[in-house]
Amino acid sequence: MVRAPEWEMYIVWYFFLGGIAGGAYFAAAIADNFGGRRDREIAKVGYFIAFPLTLICGALLTLDLGTPSRFLNMLKLFNFWNPMSIGSWGIGAFGVFSFICAFLSLSDSEGLLTLRRNIAKVGSWFGFFLAAYTGVLLSNTAQPIWRDARLMGALFLASGASTGLASIAMISYFRSANLGESWSKLKKADSFAIVVELVLLLGLVLMLGPAADPLTKGRFALPFWGGLVALGLVVPLGLSFLKPGDGRERTAGGTLAIASVLVLIGGFLLRYVVLMAGQL
Amino acid sequence: MAKTLAMFTDTSVCTGCRACQVACKQWNQLSMEKPEWTGTYQNHEHFTEKTWRLVRFKEKRADDGRLKFLMMSDVCKHCAQAGCLEACPTGAIYRTQFGTVNVNQDVCNGCRNCVSACPFGVVAFNHETGRVNKCTFCNDRIHNDMPTACAKTCPTQSIQFGEREDLVARAKRRLAELKAQGEKEANLYGVDEKGPLGGLNAFFLLLDKPSNYGLPEDPKLPQRNVKTDSAFSIGSALLLGAGLVVAFRERGGNGSSGEEE
Repeated sequence: MVRAPEWEMYIVWYFFLGGIAGGAYFAAAIADNFGGRRDREIAKVGYFIAFPLTLICGALLTLDLGTPSRFLNMLKLFNFWNPMSIGSWGIGAFGVFSFICAFLSLSDSEGLLTLRRNIAKVGSWFGFFLAAYTGVLLSNTAQPIWRDARLMGALFLASGASTGLASIAMISYFRSANLGESWSKLKKADSFAIVVELVLLLGLVLMLGPAADPLTKGRFALPFWGGLVALGLVVPLGLSFLKPGDGRERTAGGTLAIASVLVLIGGFLLRYVVLMAGQL
Repeated sequence: MAKTLAMFTDTSVCTGCRACQVACKQWNQLSMEKPEWTGTYQNHEHFTEKTWRLVRFKEKRADDGRLKFLMMSDVCKHCAQAGCLEACPTGAIYRTQFGTVNVNQDVCNGCRNCVSACPFGVVAFNHETGRVNKCTFCNDRIHNDMPTACAKTCPTQSIQFGEREDLVARAKRRLAELKAQGEKEANLYGVDEKGPLGGLNAFFLLLDKPSNYGLPEDPKLPQRNVKTDSAFSIGSALLLGAGLVVAFRERGGNGSSGEEE
């Protein structure tokens, strides 16, 4: 008989926003380093999303402790194989990288651009880490569902990628950015992340077998199948196959923005159902 | 290093008097809690931040059809491979020179990672202090050559305190005795240092299967999969990274789309 750690809404929001921050950052770093001139706009949006979200993540984590100053106790120790310990250091390091890249994005100077790109090459690994480690943290507890979910870290990383890209697309749309063919690149990237996420989610459920029941049956069946799988993954993936009318990029952006909102809802529901169903 | 201390709880002589539960509360100054109706004499349902010794009353129907109690005074197992200790990100949970596992209240920051990691549901979050509590193995007493309060008070010697080696030998003798008397299901839980969790420093002689006492049959260290799970995550990162590189890469090699403004 195990005891639930009472990780509730602060942690759900932290897992969700931390995934977006990490995903938006590594997507930005890749767009910055491998994309063209227009993709730099995507990169900037990604950095501008990652940094403030990291601050919010820090706030959520300290609030969850009840006495915020006790967060410093996490830094008394560096234990490489302890996800929470290395995570506390990792989120700090990620905060530094995301701050520098967001700060450098304020300028259009070519010299700073090169610097930003190089810093992002290193920082992107911390972005991957931030998106994934929360899953590994859950899968190394004694709680039902979590303890048998070998793919949880991989799945959270894919969700971080899809929600990170979705948040970039959504914000780009609302600030009416002139992204040109970058829209189709964003769409392609997000579709790929969604497919990977769907495959990992399926794999995770199959590997759990009957242990997945609290997640896939009962009170969480609707948010899991209806919310996460259908609305959050399958529908946005279907939307990505719609052909933009007359090749108008703005319309394509609009469809992508709608798909993005759904992906974000799905990403939130993933963290919510996983955390709650593991602590029934 | 001092010799490893242990508690051996022989459930075959437990009478369910709960003196251990009371002694624990008194010595450790744990305040009272509202009683719970659990359907049996057991109270509480489970360990709490203020109940570190708990006598379990499990009802079992005997072969002749009559109900009998399986009674067991449960406690933190002070595992040799302790999930809570591995989980603690602050170093608040530590192993003492006697091999017991303890929470340093000044360092604990209330993250609850240990709560999620204990295979026995022992560690409990205290909402008043915002930190976690569990059995300390009477840390103050054992450092002053005194036995734990529960063992000292147990009127039937169901709870025995001493050096682990001695108690293991005693437990094995007692098991052989009971087997000879026809207790076919009797077994030792947590004695084997090569067994689950590297052996428990609070181990038990049970008269029935562990699961009938609410104990996991084969408890495992929760953190045993960190490397596997990390490897899957790294694979996922490489796959997604490669996919995103392909999606964002400029085709034609001369950045044509970037020049069309």
